[in-house]
Amino acid sequence: MAMVDEPLYPIALLIDELKNDDIQLRLNSIRRLSTIARALGEERTRKELIPFLSENSDDDDEVLLAMAEELGVFIPFVGGIEHAHVIIPPLESLCTVEETSVREKVVDLLCKICSQMKESDHVDSFVPLVKAYSQLCQEDMPMVRRAAASNLGKFATTLEPAFLNVEIMTMFNGLTKDDQDSVRLLAAEGCAALEKLLEPQDCVARILHVTVNFARELSTDSSQHVRSALASVIMGMAPILGKTLSIVINILKSSIQDSTIEHLLPIFLSLLKDEFPDVRLNIISKLDQVNQFIGIDLLSQSLLPAIVELAEDRHWRVMLAVIEYVPMLASQLGIGFFDDKLVALCMQWMQDKVYSIRKAATNNLKRLAEEFGVGHGQQSALPTQDDGSTCKCAISLMAPVMGSEITCSKFLPVVVEAAKDRVPNIKFNVAKLMQTLIPIVDQSVVDKIIRQCLVDLSEDPDVDVRYFANQALRSIDYAAVAQS
Amino acid sequence: MSDLDRQIEQLKRCEPLSESEVKSLCLKAMEILVEESNVQRVDAPVTLCGDIHGQFYDMMELFKVGGDCPKTNYLFLGDFVDRGYYSVETFLLLLALKVRYPDRITLIRGNHESRQITQVYGFYDECLRKYGSVNVWRYCTDIFDYMSLSAVVENKIFCVHGGLSPTINTLDQIRTIDRKQEVPHDGAMCDLLWSDPEDIVEGWGLSPRGAGFLFGGSVVTTFNHTNNIDYIGRAHQLVMEGYKWMFDSQIVTVWSAPNYCYRCGNIASILELDENLNKEFRVFQAAQQDSRGPPAKKPAPDYFL
Repeated sequence: MAMVDEPLYPIALLIDELKNDDIQLRLNSIRRLSTIARALGEERTRKELIPFLSENSDDDDEVLLAMAEELGVFIPFVGGIEHAHVIIPPLESLCTVEETSVREKVVDLLCKICSQMKESDHVDSFVPLVKAYSQLCQEDMPMVRRAAASNLGKFATTLEPAFLNVEIMTMFNGLTKDDQDSVRLLAAEGCAALEKLLEPQDCVARILHVTVNFARELSTDSSQHVRSALASVIMGMAPILGKTLSIVINILKSSIQDSTIEHLLPIFLSLLKDEFPDVRLNIISKLDQVNQFIGIDLLSQSLLPAIVELAEDRHWRVMLAVIEYVPMLASQLGIGFFDDKLVALCMQWMQDKVYSIRKAATNNLKRLAEEFGVGHGQQSALPTQDDGSTCKCAISLMAPVMGSEITCSKFLPVVVEAAKDRVPNIKFNVAKLMQTLIPIVDQSVVDKIIRQCLVDLSEDPDVDVRYFANQALRSIDYAAVAQS
Repeated sequence: MSDLDRQIEQLKRCEPLSESEVKSLCLKAMEILVEESNVQRVDAPVTLCGDIHGQFYDMMELFKVGGDCPKTNYLFLGDFVDRGYYSVETFLLLLALKVRYPDRITLIRGNHESRQITQVYGFYDECLRKYGSVNVWRYCTDIFDYMSLSAVVENKIFCVHGGLSPTINTLDQIRTIDRKQEVPHDGAMCDLLWSDPEDIVEGWGLSPRGAGFLFGGSVVTTFNHTNNIDYIGRAHQLVMEGYKWMFDSQIVTVWSAPNYCYRCGNIASILELDENLNKEFRVFQAAQQDSRGPPAKKPAPDYFL
């Protein structure tokens, strides 16, 4: 454009168009920012264009987003890396915009600019940046603090480690004490990311004390959302703290192990007793990770009573989570422990009022039988066989695991007896169950017992009993054909 | 696996059937429902369920607590559709189960199983939105006309969606109703689907709903005595605790839509009766958010409370 030669024209044009009522025109002029900057030259861009942009943060989100995008490539136009800090004021004002996407973009840019500055080793220029970020962390608007909190980890990765200990941890500490629970929540979520950045020694020295203290505070946080987030985050901390084991010298080793246990265990336990089921569930679902860092002995002493308590939780989903955890727990703690402490619970679940609990409990039995072998399944599973249809379900799951002999001697009599029940649902479940037993037991047993039982059922007055009995009979014939 | 079993699996994932599948499913259902009595006999054990109102994922929660069909026998007391986001999938799943296992599940008609009501409270709009035409709505509302009006469990527990009618004294009088029609604005059939029990009413009172009546404890006592009934099981009214006994355990309201309209904050219940008619209520809460799938694109707001 010929106008480019006119020194004042571009900025006047920009101001004009930026005040236009038509959003499309405003957008167009923002998209030409780099052209304008090039026309103005580095110095005037720094002194005139940037201050103008800083004051212009009161526009449609779309325009502001475009502005943020343009500013992202602005470093060459303001005179390179050594002047990069001048871009920060307009970005700062963009941070106060209500639209999340704009703020996210800006925090993104801050990180990007930072990493460019890091490459060129202009450590001095970090200072205004870090200061800017620290201001963001203390902004009046919770919206901004929220964005700052959620990006703190990301921002920290772009900084020299020297800044981490002092500045970032200060910001982090501040955010974890914010009066808005959503800010505390985001800070809590970010803390695991922070730990990855610190050197192992620092991790021991700072994070352990800072985060553990803060975790202790958060674990009694007034908002259940914060406690719930912490529950999942704290699991991220355990491996990090544990990982330092392999890095730090042997002498430190035992002390870290101790401090993990010493500091984290009480927090685990208090979260396990939280009044909100979500918080408890979150902890339980991650218990296997804890298990690796907190030894078996301590686990059985401290966590088990809590788990037993949870197993009787009135929220059935909490109960379900515990049940699904039992085989893992049993395999870690061993058969003796299982027999002593867990077997009664498993039996209790088999007779629970909620169908899904009964189903999960029978599934558990199967997994436990697989884990501990046939003999054990026989001992612990069979006493509950007076319990109606859950028992049939258990047998159909167990039979393949238990093998032909136990199935014939222990299971089959129960099943045959149940075929005489007056409730059709029991009878057609017997038919279904027998169908699953056919491939497991001897042909002679099929011919002698199962077939006759199914023939009787196939003449039942109930249509569904007849249907499932006939299905099973057909599969006997099928198996016979396949064998011959 | 038969077509029907495949359709049931599909509906359990909350995926609606094609229009032609709905048509043939409804034809099969019609053959079954037309044979049922106005007072359908149901054997124990059976589990009573109240209003569902298109809250599909909450109904899946119900099955998780109560057991799957056919493992557990069910008696649903009507109001399958309207208000929730998934009336189509909810009703079609129940209907498919009915066709697959006619003796294991009983569906009786609620006041929302009606052409008029579904045009106001969401089912019509949902069919139009999901199929681009109202054919599915037509097939379903035609089926509504064939659904039974009430049930009696082991001749001891009378089950109906709403309540009693001043024109009905005996179960035999219900049996004589010609039910194959749109729910009328008044009369016995309307009352069975619309009436409510009410503490402060002596005898019969006017219903604020504009259809059906309010009835007091003495009406229930007389009805139960005349028909040799232990108690009445009904739905139709939101109860925050999921179930509510009235009139000295002569009538019970069972409500099975947790957090009704996704906002009422109530819990839901089902009533399990074993083969000896021993009662056990199972209460349950709304499905967890993440098991709900994507929310409907445009929930029309005007029929929400």
